[in-house]
This record gives sequence, C-alpha cells and structure tokens, in this order.
Amino acid sequence: MRNCLRVSIQSLLVGAFFCAAGQSLFAADEYTYDSVHSSVSFKARHLDISWIHGRFNEVEGKFSIDRQDPSKSTFQLKIKAESVDTANKARDEHLRQPDYFDTKQFPTIEFKSTSTKAITGGYEVTGDFTMHGKTKKITLVLKGGKEIDFRGKKIVGFSTEIALKRSDFDFDKSQIGLIGDEALIYIDCEGSRM
Amino acid sequence: MPDPLLYLESMGAAAIASALCVLAMAAWRRPAGTTRFNAACVLAMCLGIVAGNSVLSLGMTWPPANGLDRLMTVVIPAALAIELIAGIQRLPSAVAWFLRLGLAAATPRILLHGSVYLNGASGGWSAGEAVITLAAWSTLPGVLWVLLHWLSQRSCSGVSISLALALAIQSAGLTIMLAGYIKGGAAAIPLTATIATTAIGAGLAASRFAPAIVGVGVVNLFGVLFVGRFFGQISTGSALAILLAPLLCWATEIRQLRSRSPRLVGTLRLILVAIPLVVVLAVAKREFDRKMGPLLGISHSILNSSLSWTLSITRRA
Repeated sequence: MRNCLRVSIQSLLVGAFFCAAGQSLFAADEYTYDSVHSSVSFKARHLDISWIHGRFNEVEGKFSIDRQDPSKSTFQLKIKAESVDTANKARDEHLRQPDYFDTKQFPTIEFKSTSTKAITGGYEVTGDFTMHGKTKKITLVLKGGKEIDFRGKKIVGFSTEIALKRSDFDFDKSQIGLIGDEALIYIDCEGSRM
Repeated sequence: MPDPLLYLESMGAAAIASALCVLAMAAWRRPAGTTRFNAACVLAMCLGIVAGNSVLSLGMTWPPANGLDRLMTVVIPAALAIELIAGIQRLPSAVAWFLRLGLAAATPRILLHGSVYLNGASGGWSAGEAVITLAAWSTLPGVLWVLLHWLSQRSCSGVSISLALALAIQSAGLTIMLAGYIKGGAAAIPLTATIATTAIGAGLAASRFAPAIVGVGVVNLFGVLFVGRFFGQISTGSALAILLAPLLCWATEIRQLRSRSPRLVGTLRLILVAIPLVVVLAVAKREFDRKMGPLLGISHSILNSSLSWTLSITRRA
C-alpha cells in the first residue's frame, strides 16, 4: 500500500516537472509592448533641404517569440495616429487633418506580422502595414531579441527602421512637395513578461 | 500646398461645362417645358461638377475612403438625381419633398460612415451622443432647403438665392482651407462655379429659374461645411454662421423692399448674405495667421515689414 502511494506521488511529480519544462521549452514567450521604454518616431524631408522629426506618443502592441521555431513568432503594433507629435501644436493639428493622416477617419496605424524568420542578430518580419486606410505588405528587419532578467521581469528589445512613401498609402498627392513623399520610420521597442 | 492655377483651371472647367449645357438648352428650337428646363439645369450642374472635380482629381475613388469622397460620390449625385425626379411636373410635391428631406436627414450619417465618431473608437461618440448630434445636424439642411425653396417660389429674384448659396459655398471652402484642410476647401471651388454659372446662364438664356439649383446648392453647402467641421477643424460657430447666412435673403421680404425691382432685391440679398461671411472669413484669417503663420514663416515677414515700417518712420522723424 505504502509502495503504491510512493509510486503515485513520484509519477505525479515527474509529470508536473515535464509539463512545466515542456511549457518553457516549446511554448512561445508572450511580451507586452512597454510604452515607457519604447518609441515610434519618424522624420520627413522639409523643402528637400532639411528634416522634420516627430513621434507617436500612444502606441500599444504585443509580440510572441518562439525561440525553438522562430517562424511561429508573431509581432503586432497599433499606433494611435491622433498622438502625432512634432513639437509644434499647429503642425500636429494640421497633420491630423484629412490632407495628411485623417485621424477621424483612420484613427490607427497598424502592423500585423504574417511570417517571421530568424536572421543573424534578430528577425526578418513580413506583415501587413495599414496606414491611412490602405494596407501594404512590408518587411521589417528587427535587430535585437536578446532577453534579460531585470528585477524579476523578462525584458526583450528590438530596433528597426524603414522608409515608406506617403503616396503608396493614398495620402493626398497635392500635399507632397513641401513635405517629402518619403518618411523614415524608427521603431525602438521593449517588451516585458513576468 | 494650395495651387491657385489649378483652382482657376477647375473653376473654368466647371463654369464652361455648365455654361455650354445651359446654352445648348437655350439654342433648342422649341421652348423647353418646366420638366425639361429643370432636367437641363441638373445636367448642366452634373457636367460642371464632374469637369471641375476631374481637374482637381476629386471623388475619383470607389469605394469612397473618406468624408469628402462620400460627399462627391454619394451625396451630391443623390441630390442631382432627386432634383431630376422632383422636377417632373406630374410628380406630387409630397413625393419630391419626401425624397429631399430623406437625403437631408441621411447626409450626416453617410458622411460620418466608418469614422471614429460612429465606430465606438476612443474619442468617438457614445450611442446617445451620436443620436443627438446626428439628429441636430440632420435637421439643418432640411430646414434650409425648405426655407430657400419657399423663398425662391414666392419671390421675383430666384437667381440671387442661388448666387447667395454660391457665395456661401466659396466662403465655406476658404474657411476650411484657412483651418488647414486644403483639399476639403478646394472641393468648394467647382461647386461654386457650377451653381453660379448654371443660375446666371438659366436666368440670362431662358429668363427662368430652376428650383433644382437651390436644392443642389443647399446640399453642396451643407456637405462641404459638415466635412470641414467633423474631419477638418472649422468651429461649429463658423460652420453654422456660413450655413445659415443664405437665410438672410428672407430679409428682402419685408413690405418696404418686396415691391422693389428684382435687380435691387437681388443685390440687397447678396450684400446681406456677404456680411456674416466676411466676418467669418476675417476671423478664420486671423486664426490662420496666429496658428499657421509661424509654420509658413508669415510671422517673420509681418515682423520684418513692421520693423522696416517703424525704421522708416523713425528716419523721417
């Protein structure tokens, strides 16, 4: 009877250990976008002689990283277009109007990955990028991905930059000239999990 | 950036297309009946708007992506179609008004379709707010339409009502542009040219007035202002002042003015309507100089010119 009980307890413990180990070995790690330590910024040509810099202050996102099978990793980012900030209130209000972002009609700018592959020093992520109501497939080269433990929190960070043309997203062509067609977008983000 | 040359081209294209259509109707051998006359005016406005918009590349996308696209591809064509039907002499006026007021009531909902106001996104309206706001804004074009149509039927100078509407549409466009929505403001240019040319052309060529011009003018004015208010950044006060300004045409219905010559009554109407429009434009210009001036370097040029003026005065002294 005593032997039988011991075997049962041992089996339970072994089962629990393998379950826990299996979770950490095979499941993807889920991270939440850390808006305090992340930024989505951009710059665009002004009069073709200089650059205007800006950022989006309200961004949310999540990503899951499967270290065993990177192709199963996913990335999502949602930017509130209304939160555009170029350090000039009048210009920000102008950018929110339909000649530019049309934030009342298209309140968010979104990226959702469709495929991921591991590359040296990061990931190459292809996905659907929706801005101004138009969706296009883009590929981001995410540099980083190393996880650290900071005060009991697991933190991972990525950086990427991409050049996008406003005309590809149906922005008003007559407004291209004063501000250049191409905008360079910089995303530096941290994600955390407990 | 605003392109004045392109705007002139658009205005010219709209005016020429409308004028040619009205002149073709006038050159017709037989005198046109009321139905045919009204239909010719609707056709003239349709051609004018299409010609003007094609120069500005407006309303060329389907499905429409934003409020301005919906105004150009859904609301204005619906107004033209309704006025074409309403102009049929045998049609009971109750049916015509059912269609007109139906469009007036539906226009705000159509223009806001898919926007943050109605899709429950943050910064949008609650269900109650949406119902109240849509109800309030839906009433306005209907009231304006009824009152201006009634005035055009009872008065001797119907053309001046259409010209007052054209004046208000152009002022709406300029105010929207000054508030920073350039494309939305530019959209008013071909609409103004079309309404004015059709009204003047019909008056000169046939010495008659078509109620369809007032109907399409009211929808154009309301649509441009509504898009400017909810997608651009013009204030509710400015939008209402411009929208209601054409109602000042009613002032000439007082006994002392009513019996005067049509030309004098028409001129008085235009002057009365122009007064609030000029005030709204002056306020919009002041706001533009205050907000957008520094962005465009205007404040520096004003500052520089003020400085050089002060220096020249000092030297003279």
